[in-house]
Amino acid sequence: MKNFVLKLLGPGPLGPVLALVFLIFLPLFIGESWVSLMVEMIALAIFATSLNILIGYGGMVSFGHAAYYGIGAYTYALLLTKAGAPFLLAMVAAPILSALGALMIGWFCVRLSHIYFSMLTLAFGQIVFAVALQWYGFTRGDNGITEIPFPPLLQSTQRFYYFALVVLALSLWGMKRIVDSPFGKTLQALRDNPLRTEFMGINVRLYSLMAFVIAGAFAGIGGALFAAFNHNVFPTFMHWGKSTEALVVTLLGGMFHFFGPSVGSILLIFLDKIVTSYLRYWSFVLGILLALMVLFFRGGFSGYVMERLNAMGAKRGEGR
Amino acid sequence: MDFSAFFMQFLSGLSQGMLMVIIASGLSLVFGTMNILNFAHGSFYMLGAYFCFAAVTLLPQISGNFWIGLILGPLAVAGIGGLIERNVLRRIYSRHLLDQLLLTYAFVLIFDDVVKMIWGIDFQSVRMPAVLSGKLDILNRSLPYYDLFLILMGPLILVGLYLLLQKTRIGRMMRATASDAEMMLALGGNVRALFNRVFILGVWLGGMGGALISPQAAISPGMAVSIIVESFIVVVIGGLGSFWGTLLGAFIFGQFNAFGILFLPRMAIIFPFVLMALVLIIRPWGLLGRPED
Amino acid sequence: MILRVEGLSKSFGGLMAVHNVSFSIQRGERCAIIGPNGAGKSTLFNLLTGHLHPDGGRVYFQEEEITGLPPHRICRKRISRSFQRVNIFPMLNVFENIQVALLAVQRKSKMIFSPARKMARQETERLLENIGLQEQREVISGTLSHGDQKRLELGIALAGNPLLLLLDEPTQGMSPDETAATMALIDRITREREITLLFVEHDIGTVFALAEVIRVLHLGTFIAEGKPDEIRANDEVQRIYLGERK
Repeated sequence: MKNFVLKLLGPGPLGPVLALVFLIFLPLFIGESWVSLMVEMIALAIFATSLNILIGYGGMVSFGHAAYYGIGAYTYALLLTKAGAPFLLAMVAAPILSALGALMIGWFCVRLSHIYFSMLTLAFGQIVFAVALQWYGFTRGDNGITEIPFPPLLQSTQRFYYFALVVLALSLWGMKRIVDSPFGKTLQALRDNPLRTEFMGINVRLYSLMAFVIAGAFAGIGGALFAAFNHNVFPTFMHWGKSTEALVVTLLGGMFHFFGPSVGSILLIFLDKIVTSYLRYWSFVLGILLALMVLFFRGGFSGYVMERLNAMGAKRGEGR
Repeated sequence: MDFSAFFMQFLSGLSQGMLMVIIASGLSLVFGTMNILNFAHGSFYMLGAYFCFAAVTLLPQISGNFWIGLILGPLAVAGIGGLIERNVLRRIYSRHLLDQLLLTYAFVLIFDDVVKMIWGIDFQSVRMPAVLSGKLDILNRSLPYYDLFLILMGPLILVGLYLLLQKTRIGRMMRATASDAEMMLALGGNVRALFNRVFILGVWLGGMGGALISPQAAISPGMAVSIIVESFIVVVIGGLGSFWGTLLGAFIFGQFNAFGILFLPRMAIIFPFVLMALVLIIRPWGLLGRPED
Repeated sequence: MILRVEGLSKSFGGLMAVHNVSFSIQRGERCAIIGPNGAGKSTLFNLLTGHLHPDGGRVYFQEEEITGLPPHRICRKRISRSFQRVNIFPMLNVFENIQVALLAVQRKSKMIFSPARKMARQETERLLENIGLQEQREVISGTLSHGDQKRLELGIALAGNPLLLLLDEPTQGMSPDETAATMALIDRITREREITLLFVEHDIGTVFALAEVIRVLHLGTFIAEGKPDEIRANDEVQRIYLGERK
């Protein structure tokens, strides 16, 4: 049994495939409002995983990542409402435009490191937010873009859920491959030791920028997905509050595992729903939870689980 | 635009700037000495305002209760800050920036709700003290006395800080630790106690800012979030950890706000961030900071 | 001459860290640089590998000028170095540490869609065996002992199949046993791969055992240069350096 669990949670497709199967059959057991919540969770999971490419794998703490989520959402919304574009085109255009935004902004940001990098990402993120808020003519300001038409064939929550599941599977698969590639390993080396990486012949700035753009693109997918489901987009999608949401989720789930942010998304959305039905003070609970995690469970939920498994494995005298 | 209007805007910007000086120097002090960027600094600002409000509402019979609130409020906030530093923050000094930011952000979340639990979500306000209400007439226009008060408080507190840093032993220790914490430890400096005191001072400054603004602004839970980003902007522009930089940054910030709203009201909200971005791109260590890296 | 340095100088705010240093190294030679702390040894290394810009002077590698080139260009010339503080990738495991270096050498680092697990396996295994860490390939490198980390670092430096290897205090912080083992490893590898070695060391026994040529650096200039016996006999060196070390 323990072997099975270890295999499930170790590298290899068994765990994710089973999770996917579980998710496919889930709507049969839960009500529509929960399915709706799952779609939100999926969008957040994609967004947070993309942020973790920067933070967990790249060591680059971005505070303005929501900008690309927002750009993706607005691209989708604008194409659908103003240009009458077909659904799939808008979904594909969103990450492209997000990537472009990430390229322009990232070009400046990767020249800095540590706190200055974080501050600049924050500044740019807020600039993007402010533009969306103030450019009334184009983005309709704080009214946001509302009544975005439902994509055809996806009129029901359930159908949209399955579409979201496809997008989730493809996005996570894509990001996993990138993270497991030579680029991904080099990015991690960069995180661990930029000087040494440079002395292996790696152009550190270029790789940082590549990571930034890739993360931005996937954030845009999350944003577009949410925009499609939500029918409305607002400037707050780009606010740093949204960026910190992804940060918190990544920490909760664990930033040192690929599926950490996804786990964190599930945890957050469900905790939120459960807690707010009893208490009005969700921020308080989340704050305490966050503080405890930072202090005592730095690896997040997934880190904790892996630690316990390793401990169990070691006790049985299995391998290293 | 005639001179009198220009001058009034300048004064308005100056009062905003001087308030920011008080608040931002708390942030900058803590970062400069302890290398901690306290995300919750805005929450202490907010608590300062709420505590002042509490003093005023709990002591309605006493005249001058605003002044009591102004003195006691920031002290109470500072006390809370000291407790947090000793029991929580201390554990993560050796950790990465991200951990500090997340932990202090946790406090932002906590205080946000605590304040709602105690005072609710409605906006509160503190009545302007009689002696400072009213306006001064200059150049055919009027400037609220309270703005003048702020313009004076800023430099007053700044001078106090300066004297503390330059003339006292603790100030010297703070400056020494800012440049080399390891050396300080080696010399037998009690860095822990120092950090605790510095944090208390920083939080006090934030709380004082909040108490000072309470008659003029709407006191609400959202105060924390708006001020923290503005504080970041100010310290980045001036230079993280730089004493004079904070003054310069706050001054610039105040003027940008005052004139920005006048000339390009729609874009005014972007200007501070654009300025912040420009400084970071061209001169990341700020206008008066030192390139440590 | 595989390495030729002429009149290299570097000062930091008025302090002359390296002053008009000239020397050359033959292919296959093992040269040690010794000197008291603050003599400028690390600065010299940083100048050679592009981490610092010289104020004056030139550096030639295989008769090609490399003065002032950035580090990532210099390593492509097959010059490798280790660093004074341990310089590995602590969150990656031992295998990945070597693998990522090999991938960089093979210019495959930019591939974003192929799994890295299958790549450069053989070369990585071979290198791991060479440095004696093959049993620990799954271990997260940050948890290795200091000595093993230094060995791993050596392995990373060897990934580029260097012609010239610069080692900055390779046995720093090691117990006598670890020091002996490390020196034996360096000895074997540099002989097997015919690598020219330039190293900085404080452990005198190691220096005298390994080096063919010793240069003594003091306050930024070489005050002596020669075979180990000559250096041992040199009074001035005794006074300035070896006397201190007693």
